[in-house]
Amino acid sequence: MSVAPVSKAVAAHAIAPRASGRPWTFYVLLTVFMLYVLALYGPMICIYILSFQDVRGGLVFPMKGFSLHWFVDLFTQVRTGDVKGSFDRSVKLAVIVTIITVVVSFLAGLAFRRRFRGDGVVFYLMIGSLVAPGLVLSIGIGLLLNFVGIQASWYTSAVGAQLSWTLPFGVLVMFAVMSRFDRAWEEAAYDLGASRWQTMRLVIIPILAPGLVAVALFGFTLSYDEFARTLQTAGSLNTLPLEIWSMTLNVTSPSLYALGTVTTIISFIIIVVCLGTIGQLQKRRASRVPAL
Amino acid sequence: MELGPGHIELAGLVKTFDGFINAVDGVNLKIPNGAYCCLLGPSGCGKTTILRMIAGHDDPTAGEILIGGENVVGLPPVARRTAMMFQSYALFPHLSVRDNIAFALQVRGISKAARRKTADAMMEKVRLTEFADRLPAQLSGGQQQRVALARAAITEPRVLLLDEPLSALDEFLRIQMRQELRHMQRELGITFVHVTHTQLEAIALADLVVVMEKGKIRQAGAARDVYDSPKDRYVAEFLGGQNVLSGRIQSVNGQHAVMAAPAGSGIQVPLTPGIHLSTGDSIAVAVRRDDIDLIRPDDQKMAAGGTASVASRVTAIEYQGYFVKVMLDAGSNADFVVYVSERKFFSNPFGIGDVVLATWPVEVARVLR
Amino acid sequence: MAARDGVFGWLYISPLMLVLLPFFVAPLLVIIAASFLQSDGFGGIIVSPTLQNYIDIFTSGLTFNLYVETIKFTVLTWLFSLIIGFWVAYFLVFHVRSPLLAIGLFLLCTVPFWTSNIIRMISWIPLLGKEGLINMALIKIGIVHEPLEFLLFSGFAVVVAYVHQLTIFMIVPIFNSMGRIDKRVVEAALDAGASRFDIMRYIILPLSKNGIALGTIFVVSIVMGDFFVIKVMSGGGSASVVGALYEDVGVLQYPSAAASAVVLTIMVTLVVTAILRSVDVRKEIAL
Repeated sequence: MSVAPVSKAVAAHAIAPRASGRPWTFYVLLTVFMLYVLALYGPMICIYILSFQDVRGGLVFPMKGFSLHWFVDLFTQVRTGDVKGSFDRSVKLAVIVTIITVVVSFLAGLAFRRRFRGDGVVFYLMIGSLVAPGLVLSIGIGLLLNFVGIQASWYTSAVGAQLSWTLPFGVLVMFAVMSRFDRAWEEAAYDLGASRWQTMRLVIIPILAPGLVAVALFGFTLSYDEFARTLQTAGSLNTLPLEIWSMTLNVTSPSLYALGTVTTIISFIIIVVCLGTIGQLQKRRASRVPAL
Repeated sequence: MELGPGHIELAGLVKTFDGFINAVDGVNLKIPNGAYCCLLGPSGCGKTTILRMIAGHDDPTAGEILIGGENVVGLPPVARRTAMMFQSYALFPHLSVRDNIAFALQVRGISKAARRKTADAMMEKVRLTEFADRLPAQLSGGQQQRVALARAAITEPRVLLLDEPLSALDEFLRIQMRQELRHMQRELGITFVHVTHTQLEAIALADLVVVMEKGKIRQAGAARDVYDSPKDRYVAEFLGGQNVLSGRIQSVNGQHAVMAAPAGSGIQVPLTPGIHLSTGDSIAVAVRRDDIDLIRPDDQKMAAGGTASVASRVTAIEYQGYFVKVMLDAGSNADFVVYVSERKFFSNPFGIGDVVLATWPVEVARVLR
Repeated sequence: MAARDGVFGWLYISPLMLVLLPFFVAPLLVIIAASFLQSDGFGGIIVSPTLQNYIDIFTSGLTFNLYVETIKFTVLTWLFSLIIGFWVAYFLVFHVRSPLLAIGLFLLCTVPFWTSNIIRMISWIPLLGKEGLINMALIKIGIVHEPLEFLLFSGFAVVVAYVHQLTIFMIVPIFNSMGRIDKRVVEAALDAGASRFDIMRYIILPLSKNGIALGTIFVVSIVMGDFFVIKVMSGGGSASVVGALYEDVGVLQYPSAAASAVVLTIMVTLVVTAILRSVDVRKEIAL
């Protein structure tokens, strides 16, 4: 039997199977990836290193000496700003925002599983909240509070302002998480006699738990680092980003670098804890769908 | 008359989606207590919808569902004392086998110790004790199915509903698990309603086979009745063991009618009491594939009295182990297939293109409505 | 079960609305209102409607320049973050074999974002500055004899900072999109004799379109709404729309700032809507 011959051009470009090893494109892309990671970390590593300078230290290389001087300076010197206080507030604010984000995103994710009247409107409002320039919203909230006569403060208005940023992200993550949730599990629970609340507690939440942790992680990171929306809504006491902002305008010493190192370490610890939690959850309750 | 707790009656059941598609179109059915009933039909015929309505996962648009004599429409599944086994099993991925099975007890507030005991007993029954602490993802398909079954049965339902329980398994497992299901049903003594699209599965398992098409029941009865005496063309073709010849009546005499079909003319058809045949009527006749004998034209064992016959050409031959499928040219698009026992075929095999005479005793053919 | 949930849909969504309404819809309405009013020169607002704010914006040459600057940076940032982000995502999805490793590498890319935004900007000084590492290295190797001035406090630095910060916003949705591509489709293409270029052009790019669009929305909205990165990294040399807004607010010129904010928000909304129209975003995030 004769078969139409494959054109030379096609045959030349077709990719032949390989016995083992990686194609050349792998090495190219690996290099790109490594350069990217290097570029990501480069600036930071510079300041981590420079934060360990001693008293003579300046803002640039070469490094002068080695000590914890600037860390001490950070926490003791009044003129470097209220680091401890603002850090404290930032963490508390982030925790509040995270909890609210997880709960509200979870509920919204559940709501969006079915079409309901006005679901398009809600969806676009959410996207709007995401893309609106942060400063604009911040000013708007500030003005609003002014008109109504309420004082802005970090534990009320800033919470709302940050939520307008974290909730859309949280809900988007929940969409992705929910799409892997099989409705049959819910129906089975209902069939076996579980009430709505029991289904939520015993089936839905445990299965979605890793996703919820992801939302929490997102929410915390976004809140902790949030600047624009918090600027006009935090009131008289600053969160950490706001404090740093005013510090950069006044302070020109490596204590800022020390601050960067400290905050990174703390964020790192928090992330590791979260990942550890997800890992534990995954191990104890393998939430992979059984193969059909 | 005492109906029995698991007696199911569907009366005028209708389910409409989006206002214009009748997924279930006026279904009436009685399933006796303790029967194994199979709803058989192709995708979209409404069988799964009916199952879900009996279970309480969907509400009927109209009609009544009575279980044990009481109308259950509007009641949640747990109040109906029914349990459903889902097609994908829907095992809770985060719970062990034991916890999956004990789930129904857990939501009823039964203590951990009591739950464990009951679940262990159930696991013994389905032979899963050694897997008690495993997660569903670590089980094979057959094992998962047994967990699903145990989980549903632990609530001591009066009706167990199974949505294509064997579809996800490979051929070999399917045949094995069939027997498990049958065995389980006999042991529990409750009504099983099993949805499937596989004919052989339905007739192997069921006391009552319900053949459906497009939301309506075509025929319901014992497996033998449905297979051997199909009432209409659809059932005959769906069950698969029959050839359907359509044509017109050429003449009628005292004992037979004679019809002409694309396959050939002069085919003798038995007269059936209750069905009036006159010349010119168009009719359809079903002949079982294994009732047909194939003779070479030069074999002078010709049509003895009382046999009908059709001359044809062999188009394809398929070896099926203990029988051989011989496909003949029937002059139209309809299949005309003969099952010849394997030994018989190979003692005098046909080849593709051979001309043969297909004969059968007139009386075995059935006139279809 | 289906019927009972009608009410619950609204119940579940109400917390979200409880936040969005006062903290998104209301502030926008306030700003729109303020943009039509007048300033009393002392930080207060006189409730007398006027279009003057808008007229000022549209007749001012400054506005045009600001938008040009902002759009310039937006486009450049988008371009580079897309190119880098696309290839990183591609690498993670198609070349990394173990999903666990892919997630690990992915997280590796997110670690730098746990250091405050602002500190990250300062961190460019020891790297790009006149006495920074790069300049030192270049001089040592002998490529240049004097430190390159344009590396820091310039338009270049602004783009570098933006790309550094925002590429991750491209990587995430593209990674998500690509992850959904059924590998068997690629195999089928290989079977048919497709070259790498063919596969990229006919399979990967079209199927990642949604992710690219989502990433673009993130990048565009963040750059157009930013004011401090550009201020710091350009050393005051460049300005942005929001930067000017910020300064207006600084001198308590609320109405003109509000008008400027409205115009900007409309512009961003138009761009985002245009992008949303070109792809089915709801399908992408599996609604």
